[in-house]
Amino acid sequence: MRDLKHLIRMEDMLQQANNELVREAREEGRKAIGYTCYYMPEVLLDLPGCFSVRLRAPNCTTPTMATYYMSGRTCHYGRSLMERALEGGFNFLDAQMATETCTVTCRFQEHLQRMNIIQNPDFFVEFTDIPFKKTENSVEHYKKQLQAHVLDKLHEKFGIDTSDEALLKAIEQHNEVCRLITEIGNYRKLAVPTITGYEFSVIMLTSLTCPKDKILPMLRETAEELKTRQPDIKPGWKIKVAVAGAENDDPDFIKLIESCGALVVADRYCYGSLPGREEIVVNEGQPPLDAIARHYLNTSCCPRFMPQDLMRGRKKYLADVCREYNADGLIVESNKFCEYWSYERTIDALIIPRDYDIPTCSIEKEYINSASGQLRTRFQAFVESVELKKLHGQTAKKAD
Amino acid sequence: MSKKTNLLKKAKKAVSVFWNGKPHEERRLGDLYLDKTGLYKHREWRGFKDTMYYFNMIWLYNYGNMVGDIVKYGGGLKALPLFLKGVWRYRWLGQTYLPVMHWYDRGLEGMRGQALRASAWHYRAMTSETIRQFMRMLAADQRLGGSKELYDRTPAHDETVWGGIFYPWRDRMDDVPLQMIPYFVTCHVNNHTVLNYIDAAQSIGLPGDPCPMCQAECGIFLQDDVPEYYPFVVTSNEACDGSVGTSVIQDWMMDRPLFAMPQPMQFDDPLVQEHCAKEIEECWKFIEEQSGMPMNMEELKKNLEEQNELQRFEWEKWEVAANTDYYPINGVAQALYRIYQSQDGNRKIWHETDKKVKKILEKCVEKKINSFPMTRHRVIAWSCAPLYYSHWCTWAYNCWGLNCIINMDSLMFNMTIRTDTYENMLKDMALYHEWAPMRRMAVGGMNHIFELWEYMEKFHCDMVMMYDQLQCKGMQGVHGLFEDEFRARDIHAIWMPHALPDKRTVSRSEIRGIINDYMTTIMHEKPLDPTLLEFDDSEGW
Repeated sequence: MRDLKHLIRMEDMLQQANNELVREAREEGRKAIGYTCYYMPEVLLDLPGCFSVRLRAPNCTTPTMATYYMSGRTCHYGRSLMERALEGGFNFLDAQMATETCTVTCRFQEHLQRMNIIQNPDFFVEFTDIPFKKTENSVEHYKKQLQAHVLDKLHEKFGIDTSDEALLKAIEQHNEVCRLITEIGNYRKLAVPTITGYEFSVIMLTSLTCPKDKILPMLRETAEELKTRQPDIKPGWKIKVAVAGAENDDPDFIKLIESCGALVVADRYCYGSLPGREEIVVNEGQPPLDAIARHYLNTSCCPRFMPQDLMRGRKKYLADVCREYNADGLIVESNKFCEYWSYERTIDALIIPRDYDIPTCSIEKEYINSASGQLRTRFQAFVESVELKKLHGQTAKKAD
Repeated sequence: MSKKTNLLKKAKKAVSVFWNGKPHEERRLGDLYLDKTGLYKHREWRGFKDTMYYFNMIWLYNYGNMVGDIVKYGGGLKALPLFLKGVWRYRWLGQTYLPVMHWYDRGLEGMRGQALRASAWHYRAMTSETIRQFMRMLAADQRLGGSKELYDRTPAHDETVWGGIFYPWRDRMDDVPLQMIPYFVTCHVNNHTVLNYIDAAQSIGLPGDPCPMCQAECGIFLQDDVPEYYPFVVTSNEACDGSVGTSVIQDWMMDRPLFAMPQPMQFDDPLVQEHCAKEIEECWKFIEEQSGMPMNMEELKKNLEEQNELQRFEWEKWEVAANTDYYPINGVAQALYRIYQSQDGNRKIWHETDKKVKKILEKCVEKKINSFPMTRHRVIAWSCAPLYYSHWCTWAYNCWGLNCIINMDSLMFNMTIRTDTYENMLKDMALYHEWAPMRRMAVGGMNHIFELWEYMEKFHCDMVMMYDQLQCKGMQGVHGLFEDEFRARDIHAIWMPHALPDKRTVSRSEIRGIINDYMTTIMHEKPLDPTLLEFDDSEGW
């Protein structure tokens, strides 16, 4: 397929958290607000006067200093963020909007709060408590928390306008990003997709880590470009897969899967777009914060939700995603030492093939995948098994 | 003349040994063990009075009561065949019940006088409460032909859900935690049993690194080893991510009405209290709907007030432990009794026990009886303890004179609950519940983890036994900060690595080795009883 015009620039921007667009925005006097989790609504951090940066630690392979503080038995992602912070890679941050949504990222953020790591005199860390359910009680609690710990803090510390008008403006910009990402992502649903999983992953990550207004022109152009993009005459993939699981901000991991013959057509993992790039709907008369709180709670498919219907509903959602995106199989991944996804992956690998007849490959990975040889073998075997299954299916149909 | 004097001396000593037992340094307790199992070749002679006390009031008394409790809590003599059926059906049951007296032996080894008595009463209470719980499970177990009526009146909950949530129904229903006996108690009494459950969890693809407690809890369900005694269940997110994950797997296995009652993580934030209180109210509504029984507010109030009495006595105990040398309860009895009682909630047996212990405590203070005279260091144990070696403190005192005065789990629920108004009561209940085991001072926010320094001072401790649960992400995630603080404050801290219930990761013997190394190389001290330095109890219960 023809190269996408902005892909190389976007790839460049993913090489470090403090990328050229972040620097540009800061030079304009805007405040950079870090966060790690979907539960911290990025739209609130994208109010006029500030912008959100979902933290990553690209190319961090040996978090040595962080291992002293957090031991070698915690998630590599949390440790890599800590390492990057200790190296000075997050000194551009003006604040960290923290959540205790998984233990190790919480610990990373607590270190930022307790130790003088970020060399920025104005820097502060603020924690928001996130509910485990989607009931009215949870929504009310979530709203209160967002108001007190995000909006009030941004106003108090940086003088950010947090009025309803400002929120509506931020929602409008956010929705445009979501519309464009969804439009771009929808090309993955085609019988022969005109965008690869790797390309989509780069675009999606850029939208999470750069100021929205600065990335929008590139997204618009990319969406336009894709309207006329033609697939390869002879596509290089053998099957299509959905990927679900824990934190993954490494496009090379998607590239690795695709190099084994499995085109990644859906991304249901932390830092992915499913869910994550749905538009926020504000009903008439509804306060925007209420709409935001409901949106983030209702769209999230995080394994942290405990009620029975949600635990079971997550499996159905995964199966629906596979069907909607015409995936032949599902790869469920978890990062080593990630407890939520260790359990979720285990149960997914049992339930999805049994109840929904979707072939499932369950793997454990690192934040940066230095063990790619082992993973390659697993993916190749999975691709072969799904291919065989498809062949058997075709033969059986012919015989009928 | 000198021969005569020698003979006289020997006779005097023999009489003294007969009456008082050997002095600490001459006991050679390690010589009593059989290799690998840690069983005794013969029992220790503790002196006439204490040996008789042990035989009558601990050994005979408890064996008798263990049978008596089955009959008492199982509804008469018919409970005996039911109990046998339970032993046959559920792996954890027989494996926990049969070696109980060895659990006493391990925990009370070397104890004398009032320490022996007070600590043993704590053990006795835990044994009785354990039997009460599993007999209720069996009597309501539909798999064993238990009563349907009892089944309908026995709700289940995660062991990290405080039993107090069910107080409004304690006059009509009896809540039984799902994992307290099959997992928690089992680990202490017989550390082999749980390994099977951990392996079961890993056999379905769960990696080996999540908290082994959560893995074991999963495994019990995967092995279908939980009695069918409950019509509905209340679960919790406490204490960590692994607990939430466990709930997911358990839900698929239990397949019955479930109310998730997660607690807010940022429990110091005043804004979270209202949310938590509402969750409790929603939970009560769920219980009413499922059981068809309305709440009894008087029953709730009565139980809370009685629980407050237990807390007030606990404070008295802390006062004596912190400020005198006369505290008669050893480290393991203190830790286990307190965590069991505070999580289980108000039960008659705790009051009966506290009454007996109070008498002993008052006697010790009044008569200035130092039950641990060989104390060289006053130790505070911090973080989550190795369940398979909770009696390390008994060994450490006997071998090195390390007296574990207090531990983190004991200090967790440091509050009474107001009952003057409904709002105050609910508010306090929410907070109590948020301070769940392993949460407040371990995987919870950083503020409370470092309360260690205040408690060290308060309890006049000069050493920290820093539990290092290798698979606890929350505690592993603050490892370096503790190291920094220990250095900056010049505190002697021994890191004790372990894997909660799983002895295969770090054995008891390795734990002893680490303490021995620290005591010899850093503290330059000599053991009180060198026979306890090294021995193999790898096959012990």
